[in-house]
This record gives sequence, C-alpha cells and structure tokens, in this order.
Amino acid sequence: MRLRKCMEHILYGLSGLLIAQFLLMPGETLAQEETASPFLRYKGREASSGYYEEYEALPRKTRPFIAVPGGGPGVFAYSPSAAQVRIRTRLADSHQGIKFYNVLRCEYCHIEQTKDIHTVRARLTCRQCHGGEPIASIEHYYSPMNPLRRHAYVCAKCHEGSSASFASYVTHPPNPAQVSALKSFPVLFYVFWFMVALAAGTFLVFLPHTALWGIREFMLTKKKKKKDADERGEHDSN
Amino acid sequence: MPTSVANMTRIKRFTPIQQLFHLLLIVTFLIQGATGLARMFIETSWGKTVAWVFGGYEACRTIHIYVGILMLCGFALHGIYLLKKINWKNLPESLFSPDSLLPRPKDAKDFLQHIGWFFGISQAPQFDRWGYWEKFDFWAVFWGIPVLGITGLLLAYPLSATQVMPGWFLNLAFWIHRIEALLAMCHVFIIHFFIGHLRSHNFPMDRTMFEGSADLEATRHERPAWLARLEQTGELDRKLVPEADVTRRAIYYVVGYLALACGVFLLVGGLINSPYITW
Repeated sequence: MRLRKCMEHILYGLSGLLIAQFLLMPGETLAQEETASPFLRYKGREASSGYYEEYEALPRKTRPFIAVPGGGPGVFAYSPSAAQVRIRTRLADSHQGIKFYNVLRCEYCHIEQTKDIHTVRARLTCRQCHGGEPIASIEHYYSPMNPLRRHAYVCAKCHEGSSASFASYVTHPPNPAQVSALKSFPVLFYVFWFMVALAAGTFLVFLPHTALWGIREFMLTKKKKKKDADERGEHDSN
Repeated sequence: MPTSVANMTRIKRFTPIQQLFHLLLIVTFLIQGATGLARMFIETSWGKTVAWVFGGYEACRTIHIYVGILMLCGFALHGIYLLKKINWKNLPESLFSPDSLLPRPKDAKDFLQHIGWFFGISQAPQFDRWGYWEKFDFWAVFWGIPVLGITGLLLAYPLSATQVMPGWFLNLAFWIHRIEALLAMCHVFIIHFFIGHLRSHNFPMDRTMFEGSADLEATRHERPAWLARLEQTGELDRKLVPEADVTRRAIYYVVGYLALACGVFLLVGGLINSPYITW
C-alpha cells in the first residue's frame, strides 16, 4: 500500500515536471538557417548572416587591381576611363556625388526596376527593401542587401524563413523578350522564347487549320442545301 | 419512352466516368483561368471585376492554389484510370489499336489529307474513332496539367521549393506557368470551342461529351472507318442508344453555352486589356 502511494507521488511529480518543461520551453520557430551542422559548425550561420557569434565576420579578401566588375583589365582598373559607366556596386553610399539627389525620385533613373511583381502587385516601395539614406551598394560589405545576408535582413521581413537560395530569386528580372536579357539572364531568355515558340507553333498550325475547316464545311453545307432544294424543285415541276 | 430499333439513332462514345472527368475539367479549368487572369489583370478595372467575383486579389490566389491541387488530384486519378483501362494481357493491341488515344502514323496522314480536302485537292479522310485533333487536345491537357501543376506548386510554396533549387528557378517557373496557361486558354477558347460549336457539322453545339453519344448518321459521315470496323466485328448494335429526352438536352445546351460564355468573356476581356498591364 505504501509502495503504491510512493509510486503515485513519483508519477505526479514526473508529469508535473513534464508539463513545466512544455510550458517553459521556447516555442517552435522558423530558423533562418541558424542550425549548426556538426561538420560545418557555424559556417552556415557565418555565411548567412555575416556574423560569427556577436562579431561581424571580416569581409572577403579583395583584389583591387584585377576584379573590378565592368572595369577594363590592367593595373589602373580604378581609373575614371576604365569602366564605361561608373561602377557603384561597392560604395557605402551608392548615390554619392549625384547632383540634385535630394529632389530626385528613384524611378527617374531606375524606371526598369518598377516593372516587377514586388512593385506592381505587392505595391512595395523602394525603401521598404532598400532602406533609408544613405542607400549602400548591393556589394558593399556591410549592406543589408549584400547577398551574404539579404535573405535574413530583407527578404525575411515578409517571407519568414527565407534562405540564401530563396533570395537568389531575381526581384528585378530583365524583360525576357529583349535581347538584353540574353546577357543579364540568359536562361530566362531561352526559356521564354522556347515557350513562345511552342505557343506560336501551335497557333500557326491550328488557327489556319481550324478556320479552313470551318470554311470548307460551310461551303459543303451550302452546296448540300442547294442540291436538296434543286431536287425538291424538280419534284414540284413533275 | 419505349426503346425500339427506330429510336436507336445515336452511338455511344463516352462512358459516364469520362464525362465526369470532362465536366470536372471544365469547371476547374474555368476557375483557374478566371482567378489567374484576375490576378494578372489586377491593374485594370476588368481584372478587378473578375477578382471581385472570387473575393479579391488574395482570395483569388487561395482559390487558384487549392483548385490547382484538385486538378492535380484529378490528373492522378485519371492516371490510375488509364492504367486500369489498359489491357495488360494484350498490351501492343491495347496501345496501338485505333481505339487507343496514342498517336499513330495514320494521324499524320489524316492531317495532311484533311488539309488537302480543305483545298479540294484530296478526298475527305476516313477518320476512325479518334480524330487527330481530338488526340492533340487530349495530350495537350495531359502534358499541360503537369507543367502548370509543377511550376504552380513551386510558385505557391517558394520557401519549400528553394530548399531543393535556387531561387532564380522561380523566375523561370513564373514565365513557363504564364505562357503555358495563356496557350491552354487560347487553344480551348478559340480552337476547341470553334470545333465543338461553330463548324457546320456541330453547329450550334456538339453535345457528344455531355450526352455520351453522337448522332449515328453524322458519325457515319465523319468517322466511316470506325463505323466500318464496328459493323465488321458486329459491335455496332451494342453501341446504339436512344436520344436523351428534351429536358436533358436543354441542360446540356445550357451547361455548354455557359462554359462557352465564360471562356469567350475571359478571352475577349484579356485581349482588350492586355496592353494596359505590366507584363
């Protein structure tokens, strides 16, 4: 009897502990790829957020005399004449030095970037993703838009749980019909024109086919009606 | 009505389950077309009106996703149905006989001869049970549903999709989905409807798919090879059925013309408003 009572108490105690554990444990959350792999340790988190523990990871090594996007080859890649258009993808303030910047609107220069789903359908404003002034260049090491961390800092504001892979969606895609897309997003260009060719091919065959079929049957019916009427006419005269 | 030989004016062409598949396809296809176009044309007042019918821009998306999943379920059921319909004991005969929907060399020949007949160069082709245009329609839907379904699922669940592929695949999926859907809608609303309603043979409406049977004399005229085959094997008598009563016929016309009206509304509205949206 005593033993049974003792067991009961232990059971109550254990179930109480279990309930307390459920109540006190943090709730389930969607992780921004923060789970450390036993093999890669915190590499994933480091790559995804740009942070290791509380320290921001160091920028990647730069090779200024070789790798300037759009710049010409040679020692003086940073010279004013090297790039046809001034490359602004690595500045802390991407709009620095632009005259009358404070009275301009984004779409005066970036009109092509206003013709995508995020802008037209979801009605997002530029600043909701790109932030306030100064707007850092995408490639700037500490920019929230840097591909290193934009999924966590920008995309995840709406798309909770977005990954670096998710963020490789091209938010401002080029017009896939234009030849310029062949350079900026070739796969999209080929896929688009393949699908258009498929659709155009179907209609090139079936539209004339169906129209001709309709005309032929219409002519046939008219002929048959005329023939029937003639036969009836003959009967009447007889 | 007593069924006498004189009343047996129609020949059985579709089973009730095939008619059910087609009816399900009509309803889901029109809903997908309307909700999809409503979202695509939301910048125009026409698009807003169509979206309003379904409860707005966001509701259109929800309906589009769940009806799309329903279509994929229907496609899976149709696959099971096809596997059960195949005569596994005599597979080549089951796959390549004139009763099969698989394309045959004769279809290409029929197609060319048909075009010759349009111009009065050759005799009208002797169609068997399925015309080449019917086979094309079947296979167009058969491949269209997986293409639209897979790209649609990727776009509907992007967080899961990008776990197995890079995000820029969604840019491709978007255009594949859009162009394939426009192709499907234009094909159904122009070509399928023209063949089913407007050509003299079927005017004002071919109700074969709704009634399950076609007019015997018209079929003898259009598909002589099938009729000859049935008469040779003696199967024809078992396939003859009487015409449906007037109430049923009225229902078939109402359903058919409602679908036609919805399709033409979407087609014309889409064409008129197409210059006014951001593509």
